[in-house]
Amino acid sequence: MQASRARLFKEYKEVQREKGVDPDIQLICDDSNIFKWTALIKGPSETPYEGGVFQLAFAIPEQYPLLPPQVRFLTKIFHPNVHFKTGEICLDILKNAWSPAWTLQSVCRAIIALMSHPEPDSPLNCDSGNLLRSGDVRGYRSMARMYTKLAAMPKKGAESSHTL
Amino acid sequence: MDSEDDMHDADDLDSLDDQFYSGYAALGSDDGDEYDFVDNVSDGAEESTSHRQQQNYTILSDADIRLRQEEDISRISTVLSILRSEACILLRHYNWSVSRVHDEWFANEDHVRKVVGLLENSSEMQRTRELTCGICFENYPRDRMTSAACGHPFCHTCWRGYISTSISDGPGCLMLRCPDPSCGAAVGQDMIDLLATHEDKEKYSRYLLRSYIEDNRKTKWCPAPGCEFAVEYIIGSGSFDVCCNCSYGFCWNCTEEAHRPVDCDTVAKWILKNSAESENMNWILANSKPCPKCKRPIEKNQGCMHITCTPPCKFEFCWLCLGSWSEHGERTGGFYACNRYDAAKQEGAYDESERRREMAKNSLERYTHYYERWATNQSSRQKALSDLHSMQNEKFLLFQLEKLSDQQSQPESQLKFIIEAWLQIVECRRVLKWTYAYGFYLPEHEHAKRQFFEYLQGEAESGLERLHQCAEKELQIYLDAQIPMNDFNDFRTKLAGLTSVTRNYFENLVRALETGLKDVGSSNNQATCSKSSSSKSLGSKAKGGKSKATGNSSKSAGPSRSMDDSNLWSCDHCTYANPKSTRTCQMCEHHR
Ligand SMILES: [Zn+2]
Ligand SMILES: [Zn+2]
Ligand SMILES: [Zn+2]
Ligand SMILES: [Zn+2]
Ligand SMILES: [Zn+2]
Ligand SMILES: [Zn+2]
Ligand SMILES: [Zn+2]
Ligand SMILES: [Zn+2]
Repeated sequence: MQASRARLFKEYKEVQREKGVDPDIQLICDDSNIFKWTALIKGPSETPYEGGVFQLAFAIPEQYPLLPPQVRFLTKIFHPNVHFKTGEICLDILKNAWSPAWTLQSVCRAIIALMSHPEPDSPLNCDSGNLLRSGDVRGYRSMARMYTKLAAMPKKGAESSHTL
Repeated sequence: MDSEDDMHDADDLDSLDDQFYSGYAALGSDDGDEYDFVDNVSDGAEESTSHRQQQNYTILSDADIRLRQEEDISRISTVLSILRSEACILLRHYNWSVSRVHDEWFANEDHVRKVVGLLENSSEMQRTRELTCGICFENYPRDRMTSAACGHPFCHTCWRGYISTSISDGPGCLMLRCPDPSCGAAVGQDMIDLLATHEDKEKYSRYLLRSYIEDNRKTKWCPAPGCEFAVEYIIGSGSFDVCCNCSYGFCWNCTEEAHRPVDCDTVAKWILKNSAESENMNWILANSKPCPKCKRPIEKNQGCMHITCTPPCKFEFCWLCLGSWSEHGERTGGFYACNRYDAAKQEGAYDESERRREMAKNSLERYTHYYERWATNQSSRQKALSDLHSMQNEKFLLFQLEKLSDQQSQPESQLKFIIEAWLQIVECRRVLKWTYAYGFYLPEHEHAKRQFFEYLQGEAESGLERLHQCAEKELQIYLDAQIPMNDFNDFRTKLAGLTSVTRNYFENLVRALETGLKDVGSSNNQATCSKSSSSKSLGSKAKGGKSKATGNSSKSAGPSRSMDDSNLWSCDHCTYANPKSTRTCQMCEHHR
């Protein structure tokens, strides 16, 4: 508990210090609970997620960083490795390939990489995985694009505080 | 993939040879002079020893395993000039095959190093006074940090936590790498011993030991509960049956209880079937049945199938078929037929429990028949096993020894024949049990095969009955009373003879069933149907034996046991079943 708190505090300070160094990621610690974080990530360019801003929620276990944080998408996203309803993410570094040397920042980077390179063979979203596996890249892209527009694009006038 | 001995052929079963016939002829010998075969005992015993396979497995104790593992590790460490912990990582990666490690290493050392994470040139941690731990991000003096061969520094608290998390996650801890995600340098036992808690070190070395057995394709743990022995098996060496030092016999291939002569697939099917039918079968396992004569419930508390009802009834009957014992086995020389499933007999004639009558389905009846006999032999075996244990453990034999040596100065070795008889009973019950699974899956339409099989099984059942009865009941007479030396010597000769003959018979039976009764014409429907008139006498005899039970019917059974469906002929004189190719009886030299 003490070790994880100390480590998260270090990450917090690092995030404050490095603010803006990585323009694609904005990590925000909950005001009252250092084990709850959210992040806003930009959809990578040349993907159907481009132009979208996606919100992630982090729940951090007491044994962190020996055990990985639990991360899920709060923003709807059509992606083979993200559960469409719950936002749960299938990513090896969040499971058996976790290393305690990873940080919340590097987890965000890994998730952005996953958005660029979906793994249709371990799908959490079968519809999306099947489209890709059957070679229907256009079908996948247009679905993903549609949901990006619907859920991840800042609407005019609303929620302007969430834009990066 | 990993296959230094895959080229061996697993199938080197002995062929069905003449010994088979000599074996069962002895049991099938005429009544009256049933101890004739004792003369041949020495012969039989020699044959059976020469036949016994050289043991194709080794039992390993905890100490043996540690020693071997240590030897393998040092050998690799010496030959490749690498650290002990590195040799250990290599061996684990190649499933503890020393030769495989050699081959791979000398074929492409760089590749192997990369795959397992052994760096050729280890880097030291940076030479600064303070370093930052890659996990907690705190700064520590250099001497309070440790790294793997890669030089990535982590503080001791973080190392301990990292190692502990991995160990509590399972045997994957044996493949531990540097925590730096980009690194991959192996973390071996030397670092565990340096950094982990005492408890974790123990756990790690247990995983390492388990891996030595579980990841090596030549070794397995004995599946008996609580047993800590392992078995090393010579792959491709034939019979899968192994017997652990804890006395549990099991199949090396499927790790079920030893099941020769039935193959692993049949066993798996049978076990599945049993669990599917277990609700229907529970009542069968109850150890009590009504006496067929007086209807009082009788409990089976002895190993053999010969049951005597309590006074005043004293009716003697067979536990398996509930038929009168006087129609069974050696007394009448009749065909022992309670092993045979006979669909007709299920109808009406039997006054068995209501439950049985409710079983309308023939298939269930059929299964019930085989299951009941399988289960009864199983419990008979358990009983014999516990009898044997109590004889070996308790003061039983010591007491007997005293008594006997007082009476007749018998040295201890002279009583070994009793233990041997019981060991044989236990083994035979096991074989017999599995012959019922064999019978259940023997195709119904292969009449000749079925008949021959049932004949062999029947003879096995009755032969074993004789041995079991002799060891269980006749022995008791000697324990209860003061018997002259001569009588005891007679008893010894009889029991030792029965043991030897039964052993031979069962060894041959196992061999015959394993080769699929290939000497018997299998699917010649035309021939078998036309023979059904002659073979019917077998069936009707068995039936008649139960309902009418006249002495005549069992006498007429003599010639009727001729197996003329197959390529055997039955001797008129001694009833021995001879191969068609012979003109004179192999047993008594009577001409055809
Ligand atoms: Zn640390
Ligand atoms: Zn490293
Ligand atoms: Zn054992
Ligand atoms: Zn098996
Ligand atoms: Zn009775
Ligand atoms: Zn009996
Ligand atoms: Zn019977
Ligand atoms: Zn003869």
